[in-house]
Amino acid sequence: MKNEFQEPDDGKLRTILRESRPTPPLPPRFQQAVWRRIEREEAESPAGSWLARVDQLADWLLRPHWALAGITALLVAGVLAGAVSGIGAVKQAAQERYLAAVAPNQVR
Amino acid sequence: MRRSSFIIVAVALASVAIFLGAYRLTGRLCVTHFQKPADDLAWLRLEFRLSDAAIARIRQLHEGYLPKCRSYCEHIAAKQRELRELVGGGTNVSAAVEQKLGEIASLRAQCQAEMMRHFAEVSRTMPPEQGRRYLAEMQRLTLGFHEQIEKSMSHESAAGHGHD
Repeated sequence: MKNEFQEPDDGKLRTILRESRPTPPLPPRFQQAVWRRIEREEAESPAGSWLARVDQLADWLLRPHWALAGITALLVAGVLAGAVSGIGAVKQAAQERYLAAVAPNQVR
Repeated sequence: MRRSSFIIVAVALASVAIFLGAYRLTGRLCVTHFQKPADDLAWLRLEFRLSDAAIARIRQLHEGYLPKCRSYCEHIAAKQRELRELVGGGTNVSAAVEQKLGEIASLRAQCQAEMMRHFAEVSRTMPPEQGRRYLAEMQRLTLGFHEQIEKSMSHESAAGHGHD
């Protein structure tokens, strides 16, 4: 039945119809807005939100400037903690040596 | 597991490795750099940040004090040997044992007095603030040792033996 109405001029008719109802141009950054909306809706579901956060964190960690800053901070913290602990150990050993010399266990 | 989770775990492990690596390496470097095994006075230099001149003055006092301290220690050790011989396998505290204990206590008190005089002398060669800190620290480390034992004993006796 449908084929009965399909005339060879169907394409022409469709063009005329399209021209009679012109489609308005898409608003600026339409695609970005659509993606943002999709992401937002994904993020709003609990599992989506958690996974999105993990992804975000992973992305954030892999950014070169954050990775470099993190490595630097870890190195600085490690060096400081190591220095404090090393100096503490040296002081402790030196204190024991001094005490053993001036106040042996017998007299304490 | 998702790729992001692997990344986070790997980053966490790498962070721990970086921190521990830096920590251990620096600790070891500090020990090798600052430790002077042959010097008795290294602690004073490290803890009280003394100048070379102050350390030289203290070294003189230290070297003058060591023979006295050694002599006291030898006397105390000899008296302790005598005490052990007196006690032997006996179960009674004889008058001789009591006298020997008194002699050891007296020698120890003389030695401690000498030690305190030495600490006071050393503290006077230091700048006033460091001197006060040194004296307090040495008193804590030497006399405090007995105080701690006595305190713990008195707690134990109060709880266990019912001493007043």
